[in-house]
Amino acid sequence: MTAAPAVVRAGLRGAELAGALRDLLGADKVLWAREDLLLYEYDGAIDIATPDAVVLPSETADVAKLARFCAEHAVPLVPRGAGTGLSGGAIPVEGGVVISFARMSRILEIDVPNLRAVVQPGLVNLHLSTAAAPSGLYFVPDPSSQKACTLGGNVAENSGGPHTLAYGVTTNHVTGLELVLSDGTIVRLGGKALEYDGYDLVGTFVGSEGTLGIVTEITVKLTPLPEDKRTLMAAFPTMDDASNTVSAIIGAGIVPSAIEMMDQLSTQAVEASVGAGYPLDAGGILLVEVDGVRDGLDDLLERIETICRASHATQLRVATTALERDKLWAGRKGAFAAMGRLASDYYVQDGVIPRTKLPQVLRHVIDVGERYGLRIANVFHAGDGNLHPLIMFDGSKGPAEVERVKEAGREILEMCIEVGGSITGEHGVGMEKNCYMPLQYSPVDMAVMRRVKDAFDPLGLANPGKVFPTPGKCKEFSLNAAR
Amino acid sequence: MPRAERPGTPEACAELLRACADAGRTVRVRGGGTKSDLGAQARTDVVLETGGLDGIVDHVPEDLTVTIRGGMTFAALRDALASHGQFLPLDPPHVARGATVGGIIAANSNGFGRYRYGSVRDLLLGIRAALPDGTIARAGGRVVKNVAGYDLNKLFVGSFGTLGVVVEATFKILPLPPVARAASATFASAEGVFGAADALVRTSLRPTAVVVERSGPGPWRLLVAAAGERAPVERAMTELGRIAAAHAGTAEAIADPESALGPLRELLDRSTGGAVLRAALPLATQAAFAEAAVRADPDARLVADAASGVVQVHLPDESGMRSAADALLASAHVLGGSARMERTANPDLGVAGAPEPGGAFLGRRLKDAFDPRGILEPARSIGR
Repeated sequence: MTAAPAVVRAGLRGAELAGALRDLLGADKVLWAREDLLLYEYDGAIDIATPDAVVLPSETADVAKLARFCAEHAVPLVPRGAGTGLSGGAIPVEGGVVISFARMSRILEIDVPNLRAVVQPGLVNLHLSTAAAPSGLYFVPDPSSQKACTLGGNVAENSGGPHTLAYGVTTNHVTGLELVLSDGTIVRLGGKALEYDGYDLVGTFVGSEGTLGIVTEITVKLTPLPEDKRTLMAAFPTMDDASNTVSAIIGAGIVPSAIEMMDQLSTQAVEASVGAGYPLDAGGILLVEVDGVRDGLDDLLERIETICRASHATQLRVATTALERDKLWAGRKGAFAAMGRLASDYYVQDGVIPRTKLPQVLRHVIDVGERYGLRIANVFHAGDGNLHPLIMFDGSKGPAEVERVKEAGREILEMCIEVGGSITGEHGVGMEKNCYMPLQYSPVDMAVMRRVKDAFDPLGLANPGKVFPTPGKCKEFSLNAAR
Repeated sequence: MPRAERPGTPEACAELLRACADAGRTVRVRGGGTKSDLGAQARTDVVLETGGLDGIVDHVPEDLTVTIRGGMTFAALRDALASHGQFLPLDPPHVARGATVGGIIAANSNGFGRYRYGSVRDLLLGIRAALPDGTIARAGGRVVKNVAGYDLNKLFVGSFGTLGVVVEATFKILPLPPVARAASATFASAEGVFGAADALVRTSLRPTAVVVERSGPGPWRLLVAAAGERAPVERAMTELGRIAAAHAGTAEAIADPESALGPLRELLDRSTGGAVLRAALPLATQAAFAEAAVRADPDARLVADAASGVVQVHLPDESGMRSAADALLASAHVLGGSARMERTANPDLGVAGAPEPGGAFLGRRLKDAFDPRGILEPARSIGR
């Protein structure tokens, strides 16, 4: 873990701030004791910073009142869902107030006729699909952390998941938002229809990582559950074979609902922890799922199996029951957690590449691991070209080791950019990759993004220190950036 | 007469915008000119024609992405992709008249396939836009997933040329479906036809078009198209037949789906006189809105993308047009949606009284940040 470098901004902080917030909102909505604050100084990434206070609003009016106060006293506002983010987005790098949405976690409406749900930001992703299931509906984006992560966090990060290949990521499923801006203004954008007058501010906001304002209500699309599914696990001698299979499936005009890939290190860790039934001797495995109406699903599956065989698959297993399917997916969704068996810490990257570059870039990942003497596991959304190399390390070796791990991560991201990709596909830039933004975007591109930031958050108090390179901290990368 | 300018490169386009901004000359952006009577506009000093910004920049068929210049016509792109067995799954209007990809992005111009494939905002992966300060900014990328930085693609979709000129765009594309079928059925009431449409949308059939049509007094028609593998497509046609039978009707197969869908897409072009308005509504409110349209003008013609809640209405009766249009615009808002005039002989119509969209002040700030001198499309209400 590394303590984040803080930018000094004058404003109310510490015990004085916590006391004022208790007066403003009531003591039951504010945490300020040292031991309470410690729980809010980290998320799923590797940076830490302690907030001055944590506020637990119970309604939008609390958030607006808090924001007005913080605007007057120059206090940063950092919204937080479940803290499962993997880019340090919920870390209060400049101190200030962390807003936890644990008490704004209700489903306000499941609107079956209009295929919409209206929810509060603290709602756990999976709870929405569970609640909608009796109506034959579900919420499509399914991050691997969906048992814990919240809809507010999904909106902030524009989260994806295994099943977004055919059906889109969070932004494709959000039609309305209620926001509190950093000056306390409450704004309602969009609604239950697909279009409204004016600019698409809903689309502009989704994925802005808390830097444009705070989401207090979300209207999302609900989708009819597929009539049926087929889930296939295919094992290959090498990752190259698995990669080529992905391109061959897509190239054949088949768009499965998911294509996930895992390397041998990952399957071994997963088997030890979950027992999903993955073969331990395969160089790489694919999980492929197709869904929709029952008609033609078996034919489609057969075509995929034929492609797999042509790419040297050594084993093909089709889940025949819901239980078997769940087991195959439990392995994939539990993969990050299973890495605890291999190392005390891991650092996960999230670069995206064109699918056809998979073999080349995966070889580069192996090369980076060998050069740095670090074990790297790969568990990722192959159909989208969205890599997740998990770099394993031992955090107790100290900050120098963490820096080395970050260097290895940066080399992987540089390759992703070199082949025409992106530094992040679903985890967000946060404070973990803000120094790498110049790898992907020119100063002009970022200056234009800055105009959007200034329009929403002229005070600069909405989740500061995220997305944009921090002056000082990021100097070297800005100067050396290759474009 | 405004001066026509036709930059041949993105850089020249940006330079032209800078020169206009410096001189305080107002600019209108024109692609194929197919939507030039859409919404409010004024005469500008310069008409910037994007026709010089043409052609494919990059197409990697195996990656299912294509990058093109903003002035390329949709028809040319369609033909180029078809030679690789691929397509950009948008079916906007005015393609035969020369609609350009840049114009389709600027007007958020969609067809009936948006329920199945997504709309412009869902398929656009990245853009380069020339801005009034003479810079060219890039947003998004050329890969199918990307959350690095703000999603400025969304800001430009439907911005009607008020923020900058899209000089380059990257889209997700798909292989052409092997099979396409369509069929239609008629229903006696708005409630019946929208109920049948809803029953189809509430399955995992994923049709490529679920269109409700009223061509004047008389029955309501439901037209359904499906594309993809043979078995699920045939199943969709079977389901339509079953639903039609439940409403005491029969479904009839349409030999050439495109010949039936094409004219429905072009309601605006096929409507003379009166007014055309367009509403985006919560799905389940469409029947009520359609009934309101018929009450307002018994001769009203409707085409609804019933799977997405987008309803176009032509009100032919000029004498009652003002009150009919006002009633329908108000009705759309009451039902939780939005509506706008697409074309009318009377430019005052429907302009007054429409409530400001949520966050309009943010839109004005964005407009000021991108176009501080207000040279781009000065008559457009968006961003003002």
